[in-house]
Amino acid sequence: MKGYLYDSDRCMACTSCTVVCPVAAATREFLGPKMVGPALSRFRRPALAPDLAADLCSNCKNCDISCPSGVPISTLNMLSKAEYYRHHRHRLRDWVLSHGQLMGNLATPFVPLSNLAIANPISRTMLGAFGFAGRMPLPAYVRKTFRKQFRALRQQSFPQKVVFFPGCYIDFYDPGVGLDFVAVMQANEYEVVVPRGLGCCGTPMVANGFPGAAERAVRRNVRALQEWTDAGVPVVACCTSCSLTLKQEQQELFDVPGAAELAARVYDATEFLLELRDRGKLKTDLKQLSGRYLYHAPCHLRDQGIGRPGFEMLGSLPGLEISDADAGCCGLSGSYGFKGDRYEVAQAVGDALFKKVRASGADAVISECGTCRHQITVATGAKTLHPISVMRRAFE
Amino acid sequence: MSACDVVVIGGGLSGLVAAAAAAERDKKVVLIAKGVGAIAVGSGSIDVLGYEAGGKPVARPLAEMGKLPSNHPYARAGKQATAKAFEFFLDLCEKGGFPYSGSADVARWVPTAIGTLKPTCFLPRSMDPAPLEAAKAAVVVGFRGLKDYYPELIIRGLMQVPAYPKRFRTVIVDPEMAGRDVNALDIARWLDTESGRHACIEQMLTGIAPGNVVLVPPVLGTVPNYGVLEEFEKATTCKFIEITGMPPAITGLRLYDLLVSEIKKRGVRIVEHATVTRAVVDNGRCTAVVTHGVDRERTHPARSFILATGGFYSGGLEAGVGSAREPVFGLPVKVPESQSDWSNAFLLSGGAQPFARFGLDVDARLRPTDGSGKAVFENVYAVGRTLSGFDDAFEKSGNGVAVVTGYRAGTLVA
Ligand SMILES: Cc1cc2nc3c(=O)[nH]c(=O)nc-3n(C[C@H](O)[C@H](O)[C@H](O)COP(=O)(O)OP(=O)(O)OC[C@H]3O[C@@H](n4cnc5c(N)ncnc54)[C@H](O)[C@@H]3O)c2cc1C
Ligand code: SF4
Ligand code: SF4
Repeated sequence: MKGYLYDSDRCMACTSCTVVCPVAAATREFLGPKMVGPALSRFRRPALAPDLAADLCSNCKNCDISCPSGVPISTLNMLSKAEYYRHHRHRLRDWVLSHGQLMGNLATPFVPLSNLAIANPISRTMLGAFGFAGRMPLPAYVRKTFRKQFRALRQQSFPQKVVFFPGCYIDFYDPGVGLDFVAVMQANEYEVVVPRGLGCCGTPMVANGFPGAAERAVRRNVRALQEWTDAGVPVVACCTSCSLTLKQEQQELFDVPGAAELAARVYDATEFLLELRDRGKLKTDLKQLSGRYLYHAPCHLRDQGIGRPGFEMLGSLPGLEISDADAGCCGLSGSYGFKGDRYEVAQAVGDALFKKVRASGADAVISECGTCRHQITVATGAKTLHPISVMRRAFE
Repeated sequence: MSACDVVVIGGGLSGLVAAAAAAERDKKVVLIAKGVGAIAVGSGSIDVLGYEAGGKPVARPLAEMGKLPSNHPYARAGKQATAKAFEFFLDLCEKGGFPYSGSADVARWVPTAIGTLKPTCFLPRSMDPAPLEAAKAAVVVGFRGLKDYYPELIIRGLMQVPAYPKRFRTVIVDPEMAGRDVNALDIARWLDTESGRHACIEQMLTGIAPGNVVLVPPVLGTVPNYGVLEEFEKATTCKFIEITGMPPAITGLRLYDLLVSEIKKRGVRIVEHATVTRAVVDNGRCTAVVTHGVDRERTHPARSFILATGGFYSGGLEAGVGSAREPVFGLPVKVPESQSDWSNAFLLSGGAQPFARFGLDVDARLRPTDGSGKAVFENVYAVGRTLSGFDDAFEKSGNGVAVVTGYRAGTLVA
């Protein structure tokens, strides 16, 4: 564990984090990152009663991105939330939202019945009673998970391998993105491996105060990937929250042997492709594309310290017109915006982005994060795509 | 990372201006920043040279620069580059839709939130103190619950200023904010909304009359434009002046947002939340810098590098016992041998602090030297608060030096 990262005394109270926190901008009930993170952490040390000041934090990490002193503010917030829930009961809703993998495994065999069960007016009302946001539809489960479809896929074998980490969103809701990734890698003479035993990355559990479950998820993934990391094979995710957790969050929060070695091999998909392109290892005879797109950078991508590789890649594809929305957080933050008592905040946070999207007249909005795409589509009706899906058209 | 012409390390004012100036010359620029710089929470006024070394106020900053010692950053940048840099800066602000006013020829004295005056040169139009100097009376608007802003304190101080009116009134606006403490950012966000502006205007109108000069905290919207100012002026036919205050002082945030969007327009790629920890060097040249995340290192090759990492505030300089260092390139930072000579024991004496002058010595092309005047690397330039030879807090020159040296380095890089 990189415990040195917790030092709240590095905070010099400059207020930079307060200025950028989207939740503090949306609601005056949230005390803001400087207060909830480093300031209160100092008081938490002498074992005062745990507090819920961090409960409104969405773990979007904009505070960390701005801090000139390298204080891991969002992680301090998650730790204090975890401490609170060590002594208090969770809501059932938070359990459901943070155990997407289990819910997915239960629901997928019964699609479309399970979707009907979530989407019909009566159960929507019941979900509302449990604390879900009635106006924020949960994404629909697919009949065949990514992993099932992947197993049925005939890949061409190549000596160059890459491990794909699907994560819950792609596995249960958006398998097409995973298939597009496989297609792009195949077109560039890579064989994609999805090892058995992979599950949720753990981030929804962290955000909802289930550190024990999150740590178990991390241990399982590290174990499932060990053989590949030992062999030096890159591990790639299309979901930016998964890649951020595998690279960073799991090391900040837990002490799991092998996590650092894994982190050193993890890539966001667009980061991986850009690196291959720069090393001259990608196909260069690309198909001519067309279309006008708006790009939205997920906060969990911005936090990774790698810039905007997807935006850069797309900008170099022939025939594509792409502009940067540059409108901040979408508001959904994984499971946050699905909660009844967070819905208004989440919508207020995303408002600037929604306005940009509506005004853009773009053919589609492109973003790496599945829940960002879901939020944008529900709020604006715009079509959304993962960059890899656009790249597939150019490479295939 | 894809190769580029220039890597700028640091996203404060000096780095942003350097990136803009290099991009203007069609260089491919990558800007890497650990966090945001002081500009995002500062006042955004560009102080050029407020006081001489002896503490005497400077009336004509540009002319005074001729008298500075040769190791002062303005002297290193040179007279011509200094003048051009300010022109470039004004042009950037104009293009970004938030034009600044002022010149480096004469000092302007602006009121602060503690009722004192501070010397500066370039200001957003909303901070221009001229109307106050011409007025017979003025109104100070306060906001109920706003921290670090006390109209009585401001009035008590400003009454002492010979050029200012002797009659002040106070109007308190109630933004009706529940929840946490209220800061200037909260009020500015309230005034970003139409309903907030209407409520504020309505309440102000109970205590101000057409033609009044009205002082407000820095709250006229978060966006870099004069929309809120113009709406207020139109609705009240008064002149409004924003006073500089404690962080977060929204006027700097506006400038920060403006500069970030201007460099993006010029094609600069920004890598946020990445800390440069070391450089790859080869035969007197730097070939790449390396960022270190929680996960792993990443290499960023380029032809030139601009070090804009700030001072002790941002981690551009680090102090240990008896020594100080520049952590990225390991460049020498000269300090007095005895640590007791580092500081003036009377912290609030108003005197200069020796440690505030610590930093990198550079040659005439802003390249850090080995201490004997010779550049350590032929393609590494240092700008802003990383430099030695000036005390920005005492002489009031922080943002001025950032603009001038940032611009100069941006025009020098290959
Ligand atoms: C609160 C405050 C208010 C001020 N108000 C005014 C004012 O009103 N007028 C005025 O003229 N001056 C003011 N000053 C002084 C002035 O702001 C500064 O001197 C000037 O802005 C410094 O700019 P800079 O770019 O050199 O450094 P900084 O603003 O310190 O920026 C340094 C940048 O480098 C980044 N960085 C540091 N190390 C690394 C690394 N290893 N890798 C990557 N990135 C790194 C930091 O995160 C940051 O983005 C103020 C200063 C402060 C602190
Ligand atoms: S993680 Fe996001 S919501 Fe939480 S304190 Fe930081 S900026 Fe605010
Ligand atoms: S940005 Fe960092 S140093 Fe500044 S107040 Fe927030 S935690 Fe503290």
